[in-house]
Amino acid sequence: MSVVAAVSISQFSVPKGFQVQHQFTTSKPILRQGCSGIRCCNKESGERANTIGKNYYELLGVAVDSNPQIIKQAYRNLQKKYHPDIAGQEGHEYTLKLNEAYKVLIRENLRKEYDASIGQRRVSTVRGNSSTFDGSSWNGVLRPQALFVDENACIGCRQCVHQASATYMFDESLGCARVKLQYGDDDLKIEVSVDSCPVNCIHWVEREELPVLEFLIQPRPTEGHGIFGGGWERPANVFMAAKSFNKQLKEEAENGNHHRNTSESVEEETPAQAKARAEASMKIKMEAFSKFWHWQK
Amino acid sequence: MAEAAYTVASDSETSREEKSSCTFPETTIGIDIGTSQCRVAIWNGSQVEILKNSRNQKMMSSYVTFKDGTPSGELSNQLSADHDMLSGAAIFNMKRLIGRVDTDPVVHSSKSLPFLVQTLDIGVRPFIAALVGNFWRSTTPEEVLAIFLVELREMAEIQLKRPIKNVVLTLPVSFSRFQLTRIERACAMAGLHILKLMPEPTAVALLYTLYAKQSGFQSTDRNVLIFNMGAGYCDVAVSVTAEEAPRGISEIIALTGSAIGGEDLLQNMMRHLLPNAENLLTSHGVDEIKSKGLLRVATQNAIHSLSSQNSVQIDVDLGNGMKICKVVDREEFEEVNRAVFDECASLIIQCLHDAKVKPEDLNDVVLVGGCSYIPKIKNLVMNVCKKEELYEGMNPLEAAVSGAALQGYVASGVHDPFESVDVLSIQVTPLSVGIRADGNNFVPIIPRNTTIPAQREMLFTTSHDNQAEALVIVYEGDGEKLEENHLLGYFKIEGLPPAPKGVPQVRVMMDIDASNVLRVLAAVLMPGSHVPINPVLDVRMPTVDDGHGWCAEALHRAYGATQDLVSVKRI
Repeated sequence: MSVVAAVSISQFSVPKGFQVQHQFTTSKPILRQGCSGIRCCNKESGERANTIGKNYYELLGVAVDSNPQIIKQAYRNLQKKYHPDIAGQEGHEYTLKLNEAYKVLIRENLRKEYDASIGQRRVSTVRGNSSTFDGSSWNGVLRPQALFVDENACIGCRQCVHQASATYMFDESLGCARVKLQYGDDDLKIEVSVDSCPVNCIHWVEREELPVLEFLIQPRPTEGHGIFGGGWERPANVFMAAKSFNKQLKEEAENGNHHRNTSESVEEETPAQAKARAEASMKIKMEAFSKFWHWQK
Repeated sequence: MAEAAYTVASDSETSREEKSSCTFPETTIGIDIGTSQCRVAIWNGSQVEILKNSRNQKMMSSYVTFKDGTPSGELSNQLSADHDMLSGAAIFNMKRLIGRVDTDPVVHSSKSLPFLVQTLDIGVRPFIAALVGNFWRSTTPEEVLAIFLVELREMAEIQLKRPIKNVVLTLPVSFSRFQLTRIERACAMAGLHILKLMPEPTAVALLYTLYAKQSGFQSTDRNVLIFNMGAGYCDVAVSVTAEEAPRGISEIIALTGSAIGGEDLLQNMMRHLLPNAENLLTSHGVDEIKSKGLLRVATQNAIHSLSSQNSVQIDVDLGNGMKICKVVDREEFEEVNRAVFDECASLIIQCLHDAKVKPEDLNDVVLVGGCSYIPKIKNLVMNVCKKEELYEGMNPLEAAVSGAALQGYVASGVHDPFESVDVLSIQVTPLSVGIRADGNNFVPIIPRNTTIPAQREMLFTTSHDNQAEALVIVYEGDGEKLEENHLLGYFKIEGLPPAPKGVPQVRVMMDIDASNVLRVLAAVLMPGSHVPINPVLDVRMPTVDDGHGWCAEALHRAYGATQDLVSVKRI
């Protein structure tokens, strides 16, 4: 077990391509792509890579919107399998991560922080305000395409939720379906779910487009006048809206206007999201730190 | 595997290293070494079986008698414990003495025992000796424990008709890692291989989980508080027991413990019965030892009687014209020991607080250990936990050893096809571990009640410009002041590159595995680099051997603050 005694300088240089330096170049936002990079570099360490590359939700095998009870159950089930008392020393690494993940996800405040750091927001348990949904999360590795439900077109038939319950959720307050977990079910189920939609409102979109689409499809309060509340609205054609929105973003970037007003509406899409990730880097740093020790072995 | 030999030089590396790497199809026994009593048990596949000695007793007094140069444990000795105690030849209470230095108040209170406990009050191990004929024969708590363990082992082997090597031991929560190494050494001396060291209440929690599973509770999670008080130690645990059939999991949430127990009640009572007893209690003449022994036995019997009756008549002739003839009632006993009882209550409150569990949320309260028969203890536990009744399902004296036997079965890797004992104990660290930094302060890296296995890291930096070396001094405990914690060891990081203070990054990582082995890793990095400057230091703790009270002072004298570290706050 005493690895270090045998480790020479030359071995240290092996993982140079490793992405840990993200934490030192503070100006750079830490993107999830960085994480996948780490996963690749870790190939040589075999199984360990699987646990380390995963986020806490993936590690526990739960959906991002799972309630504490489900997280608890998943944690205990995995403990039964991997705890060193049962699995021997090999279970050490895994249980370590498991404990860390559980500690964070079971505490509301730590979980929020963590969610922000990995750029995944989860549906608030307090229902009724649907604007708290902040985009779907990913099951497994990022893929080029993502699923998107055009909620304007959705008639609320729940067909997709029946077909692939881990991927879709039904928003009772809005009466429409949406994607909660990308690739939450196997490919066959997902294909069936897309085909089964009677109004064809489930679309395959580019991964890069997804955050904007998910952001725009959410109903926003319109400005109220006088004593009357403004009500809620969303773009009639979300795809067109996304296009112009992207264009707008691009122009802003070109103008060098990085410091946009922190008005809520612009806070939540891609560039800002990256910023949020960087801000909540503590968790990531911790992650990176433990990776640091792991590749020392 | 080679027979674990008794080694002196490298006791910190014995047995535990290879323990979890292979599974043992062999039999594992559970041992509960109490301060005054001891039990051995085995899980026979369907239930716990408490092993009996040749006199058909399940309970054995934990003491060793030295006679004619051949020490022997209680098991092979036909004389009664009381008689041996009077002659000064019996050494007992080793669990209170093991791994403690002579500045420890617990060692000081042990001076009243009827054998020799000498202190120099400088932070070295106390001198302990038994009176054999006209000789004080020196010994150590490790030796005494090893002799005792050998006898227990032989007893178990005879009864089970097979060689025994693997054990699960239960120990007090408040034991430091240094004390654990002493226990390991004693086991190594006795040829026993420790599969797991379990804090006593966690063993009880595991047993509770099994019972809960067997009786098939309907609700999913049950919060249970375990209060375990024996002769030497008082421990409290809060555990969540989950029964998601077919699994039973005991998830420990919080642990607290202290070195208070029946022994303190006894000593307070002795001083109460004989007001100017101090002279007698601290002297070691042959007559005094006899008097001390007599007083001890009489007081002990009186306390036992007070558990079932309201008052007791004490009538004892201590010799040298000292006589005690007194009636003591229960209120008096409770008043004399008020401080002890108060501390018990505060331990429970502390544990509930740490666990973030309100008394109302407790589903069960389990009271075990020798002191659980004392009415005052029962009342205070029920009061603090706001319960009308306590959990009745287990034998208070056999709960810990049964849990240890159960854990032995689980940890030995035997999988029974019916999964009747599909239980798992998820443990936490009872004490914080950290290093000295920011001046003379204790900076915890893994806080107490962290689920193990655990791994935490902290970033430190230098406190001086061009500092070339840094001392990493590892402590364990929860005292606010550095000195209140146990020193576990220290090592030096060399070859820091010249840089202004605050620039070099010293990363210190601590890792505790499921067997509770602590490793400390330290690496130095310069900003902008992700490659350590030197090979990473990987140190197994504890590294200190004897005289650990001295080391910290000596280090301070030699280096002052020149090699200090400063913690770096993360954004």
